[in-house]
Amino acid sequence: MISTTKMLTTGVLAAVLAAPAYPAPASDGGADTYAVRAARMLLADGREVEDAVLLVEGGKIRAAGRGVDVPAGVPVLEHDGVLTAGMIACHGYSGTRGETGDDTRSVLAEARIANALDLGHSDFANALAAGITTLVITPAPDNLAPGSTAVVKTAGGTILSSAAHLSLSFTDDALRANRYPTSYGGALAELDARLADPSGAFAEAVAGRLPVLFEVSSRDETQRAAEFATRHGLGGALHGARRAGEVLSAVQQSGLGVIVGPFDPGTPGRQLDSVVALGGARVPLAFGLDAPQEDGDALRLSAAMCVRDGLDPALAWQGLTSGGADIAGVGRRVGRLEAGLDADFVLWSGPPLDLTSSVVEVYVDGARVFGGVR
Amino acid sequence: MLTLASLVTLALGPVLAGPLPSATGSREAEAPAVLFVRAERVYVRPGEVIDNGAVLVRDGRIVAVGRDLVAPEGARKLSGKVVCAGFVDAWSSFGLDAGSADDQRTSPATRTVDALNEYVDPRLRLEVLGAGVTAARLNAGSSSREGGVGALVRNRPEPGADAVLLGDCCVAASVGLTREGRGRDVFDSLGEVDKLVGSIADGLNYLRDKNDYKVDLEEWRKAITEKEAELEKDFKKAKKDREKDEKEAEEKGKEYKPKKYKEDKKPSPPRYDEDKEVMARVANGELPLVVQVHRCAELRSLLEGTERFDRLRLVIAGGSEAMDVADELAERDIPVIVWPAPLGRPRPDEFEDADLGLAGRLEAAGVTVLLGTGGQAGASRDLPLLAALAVGHGLTRRQALAALTTDAAATLDVGDRIGSLETGKDADLLILDGEPLASSTRITHVISHGDLVVGQ
Repeated sequence: MISTTKMLTTGVLAAVLAAPAYPAPASDGGADTYAVRAARMLLADGREVEDAVLLVEGGKIRAAGRGVDVPAGVPVLEHDGVLTAGMIACHGYSGTRGETGDDTRSVLAEARIANALDLGHSDFANALAAGITTLVITPAPDNLAPGSTAVVKTAGGTILSSAAHLSLSFTDDALRANRYPTSYGGALAELDARLADPSGAFAEAVAGRLPVLFEVSSRDETQRAAEFATRHGLGGALHGARRAGEVLSAVQQSGLGVIVGPFDPGTPGRQLDSVVALGGARVPLAFGLDAPQEDGDALRLSAAMCVRDGLDPALAWQGLTSGGADIAGVGRRVGRLEAGLDADFVLWSGPPLDLTSSVVEVYVDGARVFGGVR
Repeated sequence: MLTLASLVTLALGPVLAGPLPSATGSREAEAPAVLFVRAERVYVRPGEVIDNGAVLVRDGRIVAVGRDLVAPEGARKLSGKVVCAGFVDAWSSFGLDAGSADDQRTSPATRTVDALNEYVDPRLRLEVLGAGVTAARLNAGSSSREGGVGALVRNRPEPGADAVLLGDCCVAASVGLTREGRGRDVFDSLGEVDKLVGSIADGLNYLRDKNDYKVDLEEWRKAITEKEAELEKDFKKAKKDREKDEKEAEEKGKEYKPKKYKEDKKPSPPRYDEDKEVMARVANGELPLVVQVHRCAELRSLLEGTERFDRLRLVIAGGSEAMDVADELAERDIPVIVWPAPLGRPRPDEFEDADLGLAGRLEAAGVTVLLGTGGQAGASRDLPLLAALAVGHGLTRRQALAALTTDAAATLDVGDRIGSLETGKDADLLILDGEPLASSTRITHVISHGDLVVGQ
């Protein structure tokens, strides 16, 4: 058993090393087994447990909750605040450095944004500092089928999924006057044809093995995409549906989740109302960040804005963690404080949905990758 | 003499007229509104809390605050956990016509009160009020090199003349911004600082000229009066002399020229200049000068250039790199209005070094920190959340609350009207179900100038 001090030292070293290049690798030889006792633990369903323990072994969670037995000799870190799972931002362009689109062809379904990533980019450190441990990286919605999304951790360079969703753009950004398709009608005809005789990523989507990320913007695009998903039996999520709450029945019928945000200060109340309506209808929610155009803290701000406007805080927190992980298809790896899942967690000074709380430390795969010396 | 008097009035008129129309209580003709608000914690001002206290509001004003108050007969009773003063957004554009807010061709004489937009979506007004933001500093041309005279405006569900708390709460300016064709050339930016400093100096000279004129005029009046008295005394002799002179001139075939006295030369006032009128008030410390400036070079240059204006009341807006000059800001008591927004990349060049920890670090360095929403339309509603973010990044809760209430009101010259719950102040207050700025806290009631505008 490695002593606490040694473990902490390696943790600090890892945090220092994390800054410029690759964040700390998962298996950095730190203490294999340790426990964190927190004054409060926030579970994925929004429940709060007092005086809870998280037992970590080999970068995975072995147990979490109240009354967890800590084996003798296992170092215990005390945290006088709140411990939660790391947050997930379900939409963004971190580390892509503009490699998000290819405007020569409108259908590039086999393209993978994972192949364009710079996992050492400072965008990831920015997200990490805000308590975000997982990001969904998305191709820009400038093509009808711009490729597939990737799910990555913000430290350690882990790619959880290099084909998480097939991205399909129903926005008018994908329609160009000088390139087929030039209209919504043409776009739908093209996609219908691809799905009628599917191959490659389309076949995976039709078979239900690859969820679809529907990029939309206006209300009619949202409705069109939801009906398209229903017609073809596609699963996945909508993104950019600012007014999805106004076409609630179409969204509910499709069974799609909705990735909302980021919401800048001053976002019209109607957009926030839409999120509240989705939450009320129990539509699965996740939050997008659109980093690097947005700073990591915009994720929590967006959720707090929705809560202020009436969204159930438990639903908001689910969207930031377990719900987001489910929508990203990595719900069995991250997003919950549950035995067997990756030990990606955050120590907060107070409740995370209270913006006056700050990130104290962040752990990914059991290794401390952000936070000061105790 | 009459003419003289009117001349003086003409020249001084705009200065004497001073404050623009302010709230003069165009109360509705209903029964006088008396509100009695009881709370477990009454935040009189940040750091001064009365447990189990109450606030009595009558005719738009706070008439009593204390522990042993009794609700008068007929008063509307309200209660909650916490009651505190309404929040002030020190850097907003809410309720301002968008074109005027972004106008790049304003001058110091531009008046924000002329640019208020009465047609803002009423829902938006209620959203902002519901978030607890009861007043805001608005400035036409706030990102223009020379902005206009800013106004401190109360958010009302229905806009009206009584919304303007102070029509001249400051003058805005900016240096080194990179927008609307303004480049990022460092010499241009420093040139903008020089121009601004020059404009303050012009204002000061104008003020001196006006004062000199006042003195000269007084002297001239005195001399004229003396001369007239003298003439009166020697009237007969003077008449004789003049007649003699006239006669002699006639005989000699010359034109008669009456003797010139130096007293005949009346001093003339400095040429009226509307911009200099305003900058004179700035140089004199009558109006604070809010300068949006971010980079260290411009900040240093501005601090250096303005050092000699000992009455100038400088306020920095933005101040992304203000930590580099924090000691001097603290020493000269120059407040900084921070916009604590999580800005992504790419962001405007001047905000490159902006971060959420700025407010907390400035406070720790002894600088007075105010908070605002950067003049972003509609963002005033989210000011309390942004303030909470600043607290999450190191600003103390006490200073965050002071930034939104007392300090903002004092800096913008409405400290005697709003910002704290004290007898005699306007009743702009919030009733909350928890501590102010905690995100889980809900605002249950908002009272604006004595009217219950949010909550029942």
